[in-house]
Amino acid sequence: MRVRLSSACVALGLLLASTASARPMAATDRLSETLSLGIGGSFWIDNPIGSIEIVGTDSPGLNVTAVRTVTGEDQAAVNEGREQTVINFQGDQNVRFIQTVVAQTHARNWNSTVAYTIRVPRTVHVRVASRFADRIRIANIAGNVTVKSLTGLITLDGVSGASIIDITNGKVVFHYTQKPSSHAQIQAVNADIDVSVPPDSNLNWIADTLRGDVLTNLPVRAEFQGSLFHGTVNAPGGPNITTQTAVGNVRLLGNGLPITNLKSLRQVAESQNVVAQQKMLVARSLMLRPARRVQLPIVSGGFDFATSVGDVSVGEIRGPARIQTAAGEIELGMVYGDCNVGSLGGPLDLGDIMGTLTASTGAGDVQVRSAALGGHISTAGGMIRVLYTAGPTTLESGGGDIVVRQAAGPINATTQSGDITITADPNQNTQKIVARTEQGNVFINLHPRFGADIDATVVTANPDLNSIRSDFSGLQIRRESDGNKTRIRATGKLNGGGERIDLYAEDGDIHITTISGSPVTIVPPLP
Amino acid sequence: MSECDVMREGMPLLLTESLDPVRRELTHSHIERCPACGDEWNGLRETWRLMGELPKVEVPASIKERVLEAVGQPRPQVATVVPLFRRVVLRRLAEAAALVVLVGGSYYAGHRTRPVELQPTQATINSVAPARYSIAESRVFPADLVSPTIEGRPDIENVSFIDTNPNDDAIGLSFDITSHVTVTGRPTDKSMVRLLRYMLENHETMSPSRSKAIDWVRATYSRPGNADPEIAEALGNVLRNDAHQNVRIKAADTLKHMGASAASDTREILVEALKNDPNPAVRIKAVEALANLARSGVQLDSATIDTLRQKAVQNSENVYVRVKAAEVLSSVHQ
Repeated sequence: MRVRLSSACVALGLLLASTASARPMAATDRLSETLSLGIGGSFWIDNPIGSIEIVGTDSPGLNVTAVRTVTGEDQAAVNEGREQTVINFQGDQNVRFIQTVVAQTHARNWNSTVAYTIRVPRTVHVRVASRFADRIRIANIAGNVTVKSLTGLITLDGVSGASIIDITNGKVVFHYTQKPSSHAQIQAVNADIDVSVPPDSNLNWIADTLRGDVLTNLPVRAEFQGSLFHGTVNAPGGPNITTQTAVGNVRLLGNGLPITNLKSLRQVAESQNVVAQQKMLVARSLMLRPARRVQLPIVSGGFDFATSVGDVSVGEIRGPARIQTAAGEIELGMVYGDCNVGSLGGPLDLGDIMGTLTASTGAGDVQVRSAALGGHISTAGGMIRVLYTAGPTTLESGGGDIVVRQAAGPINATTQSGDITITADPNQNTQKIVARTEQGNVFINLHPRFGADIDATVVTANPDLNSIRSDFSGLQIRRESDGNKTRIRATGKLNGGGERIDLYAEDGDIHITTISGSPVTIVPPLP
Repeated sequence: MSECDVMREGMPLLLTESLDPVRRELTHSHIERCPACGDEWNGLRETWRLMGELPKVEVPASIKERVLEAVGQPRPQVATVVPLFRRVVLRRLAEAAALVVLVGGSYYAGHRTRPVELQPTQATINSVAPARYSIAESRVFPADLVSPTIEGRPDIENVSFIDTNPNDDAIGLSFDITSHVTVTGRPTDKSMVRLLRYMLENHETMSPSRSKAIDWVRATYSRPGNADPEIAEALGNVLRNDAHQNVRIKAADTLKHMGASAASDTREILVEALKNDPNPAVRIKAVEALANLARSGVQLDSATIDTLRQKAVQNSENVYVRVKAAEVLSSVHQ
C-alpha cells in the first residue's frame, strides 16, 4: 500500500512538473505613483495594450496604479518583455502624460499588457489613446473626455463634460447620471452604441448606422435623412449627442425605463409609410429600411424586397421580382416575370430572366445568364457580362468591360472605359448594334452571312497603333485629322446591307470578325 | 612564327575538317586575303582532290615503320634529301602518302602516345552555365552562336560596322532587328514571370489590349500554385499607373483572386487605390482584396487600418465600400 502511494505521488509530481514546464511563464509587476495635478489641468494616457480605469475624485493630485503583466515562452523571454515594456511619466501639474512604451521587435516571444487604475481630480480634462484594450472605463469626470481605441469596451459613467469617443471594434456604453449638458460624439465602425440618459433629459439625438438599427424607449420626434436619423428628445435646445456606427446598433435608453419598450425607429418609419413618401429619393428611402440578409431557395409568386444593407440570394422567383438594396450582393437564379433589381453598391449575379430585366448598381460587376426579353443593365463602375439576350438590351458602364456572348436582339452598349465585345446570334441575319467606348476596343463577331450597314469610327492619338480591322470586304476607310487626334472611319455594307451597326472607339481598335460556329458557353451550376 | 606560318600549319587539318570552328574561320579569312597562302591552300586542295581520284596504294610497312619511328623519336640530323621518284604522278603520290602519314602521325603523337594522367581533384561547381538567351535592350552574340541561315525576312535597321582594333581580325556588326519571338514555358518559370511582368508594366501596345492580357494573367496566376509575387507587383503598378479605368478594375480584381502570399506585398497599392481611385468599382475590388488578405491572417498595419476606418465612416463613400471596409476591420485583432 505504501509503495503504491509513493508511486502515485511520484507520478503526480512528474505530471505537475511537466504541466508546469509546458505552461508559458508570466510575471506581474505593480507600480504606484502619486503626482501633483491641478484641478484645472489635463491628464493624457497612451497605453497600446491593456485596460484603463480613470475615476474622478474630489481630491487634488494624480494617483496611478499600474499592473504590468508579461507572458513569455521562458524566463528569458519574460525578462526581455519586462525590459522592453516601460512606463513613462511626463509633464507637470498642469498637464500629466503617462505613456506605455512597448518596443516593436520582430519575432518576439513575449507579450505584455499594462492595466491602469487612475484617480484624478474630477474637473480635469482626460484624453485616452489605446489600440487593444479589454476595457476602458471613465467615471465621474466633469471635464472634457476624449477616447480613441481600436478595440475594447468603452464605458463612460457620470461624464458630464464634452466627449468624443472613437472606436473601431467593440462596444460603447455611455451612462449619464445627470441630464446631459455638453455635446457628445461617438463614432464607431463595428460597435454597438448604448447611451442612457435620465428620462426627462432634453437633447438632440443624431444616429447613423448602415447595417444596424436605431432603437430607443424614449419619446422621440424623428426625421430620417438617408441612413442618418435626426431626433429630438423632450424639449428642444439640449446638447447634441451624435452616435455613428457603420455596422452596429445604436440605442438611446431612458434610465429606469423598461428595456422591453425599445422600438426600432426604422420599423416605425416603415410602418408609418415614411418610406413611401420618400420614394423619389431612392437612397434615402432605402437607408430607412432595416438591414436584412435574405437567402431563399424558391419564392412562389412575386418577390418585393428592399433593405438598407444586406445581401439577397434567391434560387427561383415564380413571378415578378423587385429587389432594392443600398449596399449588398444580389444573386438570383431564375425569375419568371419582370425583374427589377437595384443596388447602390455591390455586384449583381442574375440567372435566367424570363421577363424584362432592369438591373443597376452603383458600383460592381453585373453578370446575367440570360435575358429573354432584353432590358436595361447599368453599373456606375464595373464589368457587365451577358451570356444571352433575346430582346433589345441597353448596357451602360461607368468604367469596365461589356461582354455580350450571344445577342439575339438589338444591343446598345456604352462604357466610359473598357472593351466592348458583342457576338451576334448566328441565327440572326441582321440586327442593330451600337457599341461605344470612350477608352478601349470594340470587338464585333458576326457570322459570315450577316448583313449590315457599318459605320465604325476610331479616334486615336496613335494612328499607327489603332485601326479598324474587318474580316468582311467592302468597307471604305478614311482618315482625317481631328485636332491632335486622328479620326479613322470605316463605312460600307456587309453582305448587301441590313440593320445599322454603329461602332465607336477612342484610343483603341475596332475589330469586325466572322465566326463560323455557334458560341458555346459552359455555365457553372447555381449553388 | 609569322601569321602565314601559323595558318599554313593548320591547313592539313583544315583539309581533313579537323580544325576547331574558331581556327577554321580565322584560317579561311586569312586565305581569302593572303595571296601566298591562297596559292598554298589551292595547291594542297588540288593534291587532296587528286588523291581522291587515285587508287589506294598501301604504304610499304618498312616506310611506315620508319616514319613512325622518326615521329616517335628525336629526329636525326639528315644532311641530304634523296629523291626517291622521278615521275610527277609518283612524286605527287609520295607527297600524298607523306601527308597522310604526317597527319596520322601527328594525331597519334599528339593524342595516342601521350599517357593520360588523371589528378584526383575535389568536385566543385565553379560556375553555372548561364541561360542561353537573355532578353535585354542590347546584346552581343559571338558569331558562332548565330545560325548562318537567316530565316524569313527580318526587319534589320540601324546597321553599323564595328572594327575597334584594325590590327586584329575581330569585327562586329550591330543592328536593330524586329522579329516575332515566342517563348514557351510554365507559368512559374522565372523567365516567363519576368517577361510577363515586363510586358504588363512597360508594353503599352499589347495585342489585343492590356485588359485582355490581364484577363489571361488572372486565369493563369489565380490557380493555386501559380501565384507569384512579381506578377502581383506588376499588377500593383498597373493598378497605380494605368489611365484606363477598366484596366485598373481588372488589375485589382486579379489581385483579389491571387493568393494572399503573392498579393500581400501590394497592400500599400491596394490601400492607395481604396483611398484615391475615382472609380468606385476599383475601390470595391481593392477593399475586397484587402478583405481576402485579412481573412488569410495577414496582419494589417496601422496605415491600412486607418484608411479602412476612414472609408468605413466616410459618408460620401459608396455604402458597399463602407460596409466592406467595416467587415475587414472586424477581423483586426491583437
